[in-house]
Amino acid sequence: MQYGMIIDIDKCVGCHACTIACKAEWEVPAQFGRNWVYRLGPAKTSTGELAFTFYPGLCNHCDKPACVDVCPADPVEATFKDVKTGKTKTMEIAATWKDPFNGTVQIDKTRCMGCGACADACPYGARYVNPDLADDESEGKADKCTYCMPRVAEGLQPACVQTCLAGARIFGDLTDPNSEVSKYVKKGAFGLTSKNVQIGPNSRYYGSKKKDIELLKAQAPQEMPEASTRRIMLAKMMQPAMKQIRDLGMLGIAGSLLVKSMQEEDKE
Amino acid sequence: MAINLTRRNFLKTASLAAASVPLSKVVAKAETGVVKTPLIPPGSFKDTKTAVGGICEMCFWRCQLVGKVRDGRLVKLEGNPKSIDNGTAICARGNAGIKLLYDPDRLKYPLKNVGKRGAPKWKRISWEEALNECASKLKGIVDKYGPHGLAMFPHGASAKYPMHFFEKTVGTPNVSEASFFQCRGIRDTAYVATIGTAPGENVDMPNAKVIMLLGGHFGENVHVSHLKRYLKGLENGAKLIVVDPRFSASAGKADIWVKIKPGTDTAFLLAIMNYLIQNDKYDKKFVEEHGEGFETMAEGISEWTLEKAAAICDVPASQIKEVADLLAANAPNVSIHPGRHVSWYGNDFQRERSLACLTGVLGAYGVKGGFVKPKGPKGFGKVSWPHGEHEGENLKEIAGKYPFAPPGTPTELIRDAALSGDPYPIKGCVIWGQNPIQTIPNQQRTIRMLKQMDFVMCVDVMPTDITMFADILLPECSYLERYDYIKKGTQWNFADKHQQYVSARMPLVDPGFERKDGVWITNEIARRMGYGDKIPVQSQEEMVDKILAGAGLSIAKLKAEDGIHIQPGKDPYGISEDFTVNFANEDLEDEGFPAIPTYIPVEEPPAGYMRLLYGRAPVHTFNRTQNNVWLHAAMPENPVWVNDKVAKRLGLRDGDRVSFVNQDGVKSRTTTTVKVTPGIREDAVYMYHGFGSMNPELTVGYNQGVDDQSLITKLAVDPETGCSGMRNNFVRLVKAS
Repeated sequence: MQYGMIIDIDKCVGCHACTIACKAEWEVPAQFGRNWVYRLGPAKTSTGELAFTFYPGLCNHCDKPACVDVCPADPVEATFKDVKTGKTKTMEIAATWKDPFNGTVQIDKTRCMGCGACADACPYGARYVNPDLADDESEGKADKCTYCMPRVAEGLQPACVQTCLAGARIFGDLTDPNSEVSKYVKKGAFGLTSKNVQIGPNSRYYGSKKKDIELLKAQAPQEMPEASTRRIMLAKMMQPAMKQIRDLGMLGIAGSLLVKSMQEEDKE
Repeated sequence: MAINLTRRNFLKTASLAAASVPLSKVVAKAETGVVKTPLIPPGSFKDTKTAVGGICEMCFWRCQLVGKVRDGRLVKLEGNPKSIDNGTAICARGNAGIKLLYDPDRLKYPLKNVGKRGAPKWKRISWEEALNECASKLKGIVDKYGPHGLAMFPHGASAKYPMHFFEKTVGTPNVSEASFFQCRGIRDTAYVATIGTAPGENVDMPNAKVIMLLGGHFGENVHVSHLKRYLKGLENGAKLIVVDPRFSASAGKADIWVKIKPGTDTAFLLAIMNYLIQNDKYDKKFVEEHGEGFETMAEGISEWTLEKAAAICDVPASQIKEVADLLAANAPNVSIHPGRHVSWYGNDFQRERSLACLTGVLGAYGVKGGFVKPKGPKGFGKVSWPHGEHEGENLKEIAGKYPFAPPGTPTELIRDAALSGDPYPIKGCVIWGQNPIQTIPNQQRTIRMLKQMDFVMCVDVMPTDITMFADILLPECSYLERYDYIKKGTQWNFADKHQQYVSARMPLVDPGFERKDGVWITNEIARRMGYGDKIPVQSQEEMVDKILAGAGLSIAKLKAEDGIHIQPGKDPYGISEDFTVNFANEDLEDEGFPAIPTYIPVEEPPAGYMRLLYGRAPVHTFNRTQNNVWLHAAMPENPVWVNDKVAKRLGLRDGDRVSFVNQDGVKSRTTTTVKVTPGIREDAVYMYHGFGSMNPELTVGYNQGVDDQSLITKLAVDPETGCSGMRNNFVRLVKAS
């Protein structure tokens, strides 16, 4: 299967409920977002028409995710299980990977070094490094939309889908021809791709108005970001250094102060 | 359900499709003794208890909520799945409610101002001291000047109880709610003068063939079930007409956008009506059966040719005809939206009358897709303060003005009396959940009014601008920490099974710090002022239970029903035989106003100035949410929309920072960014209302963006109602260095 999400921009009114619901559900720091709503226009299109629409974006859980290949974390062997068929698959994964069975891209925060290479590599800007999760081995952890897999596992809709007053967000299995998301694909739902960015996004958009689609398609990234080898190198070099510092416990003290002050802030 | 499966099947597959997690996870051991927050946030479904009975107050639509509570702390708000109003959906503000609840800037203790009004120094005092001070000061003023020596500015559901105490029992007539005098009041009284009832927003959009919005910008203005109506209508194929000087979010979805010149809407509506009447495209049968004074109106508006209106409204005559024809072709199933915030130009009563009359001309009352009032649940108990013995006239009667004012006293009359002492002094002020600095035009006059008071008390949840002028400042429970009035209604789509619902606000968490609810605060003050024997209920719970008892319900029953009681509803369609549309209204004429809808021109911008228009942002409510850290992050300021041609002439580029100067030479205290767009007329600029708070205690919202109200200094008062028109001010943009 391949999970995917459709955003119906005919219905979307740009109310931002999806972005705030996500912050609440997953404790996303205020200044960051696992998803976003950009307001496009009012602007004139190529035909001179006025258009005003929205780009509600999130991780695309791509077929060929650029973020996965650049992760410098030491690979570990992991076994995945298809809950439908019981089939298993064992493969080497870094701290971020694409699930062989449900097609979502996930992060193991315990092994993430917070180097930000994946965030740099994503042409959609769908990842950020969450500084609230800094520990004695990192300055934060990569974070992004997970398609709310933990909620889905409980039989719930993703938080953004549940709160959407317009019914503009539709979540489901793109490989099931009878799913609502597949019907949208048949109707012409598209991913934000361009000549040089073709990595198979599975969050897709549908709109019936040409002028809206034109504004939205202009948001597609035009180039793949340069892989930040410098960042990866640094992360690799930092690993042993970090371990040494940790043994000294200095960062531990600083970290504990930081965590303590954050906890105090959390308390009213 | 968005997913095309039966619910059971969906749950089955969804639970099967559990997130596959690597089985051989490497767990990093913390070797430093640092207790880390868990790296994987647990999500709202993990180890939370669901608290039911929440009713939102991030705006006044009052969606029904459930709260997810973990260890006594509210971690998430969601729509109540049982709701037939908002369902599981809540908007951005609703979702951000927990950040209001836990906002570190919130008021926590009773405070006494030991500095100056406007430059306060706060000293924490006990409730006992605070209540004694409020009661003795207020009583002193009543004893010296009479009850009309007090003024009250309440806002929102929470302030009804204290408002009734001061208005009915203490007996001050000087009560002004922003929700009326700066918002919906004109709409309500204009419709009452036309069809005998206030309209609410009751247009049956889901089943309409055409929806017409005049200034309504849905999507930027968000009320959940109302938007559901609108979107269902569009989904069902309704044609959308949007009349607005700005290309709004609604205009983006519209079939026809009428780029009207601000202030001329009535001319546009009169021309449509005249065209329909002249060309026999109106609902003759409806007009004969339910119309009063139709011929008078028809004759009176016969001068309004398409061309005449086109010249005034600055839109093509062909477009006015196109709108009229589209409405006529789909009548009576058309939704002519009455609007919500309508105090714009000081000629607004006439515009609202025109909307009500146009609905009649099209026969769109009581029919599918037209103006239809829901039939909600009935029989509730009343909880109210008893009327005392009061003598003397109120300011309206003394002035002999504004006979069609909504309930209360026009704000301007209160302010004038307070500043002049004529016809009587006003020396005490109670402000409860309203921020008159940002609700009422001409801030300096408001500040002067407050400075001449002997005593000012504020009750609020946040240190808003106005609280800087309080002598005593009391911390109220937020909507998540208290019981409150009931919310009732019907399903939003009349095509669905007819159902009614009743819910009442219940606390989802205990109040923090020393916050108290409005019933308690009011009663304690009342007792100390000598009105102890008049107290109608002893507690907020008793109030809610008394109201519910009338309908055979109680808090306990509602709780047992997950916070919402649902019962069979009634078909809302149809109108009574005696339903009347007063196309001409003699009562208006008797008071010296035009009997038929009449266009009153507004002033043009002086050379070099543009009209200042304002509106709603989807993530903010008035000036209540700018300090909310999540909502602030979503929209930290209010960019000013400037027409692209104008921007070019002025040498302004998208993203430049500007300040403002208005026609009276008043400068904005702060700056904001420029949004250059072809989507606004050249003679106007536009920004979201509610930004640029002046109270430094709002550590997030302080000085963010520009306060539009600070630039609204020239007053325009609607002659029939005394409401404040707030779109008759003009500004220049000054590039910030």
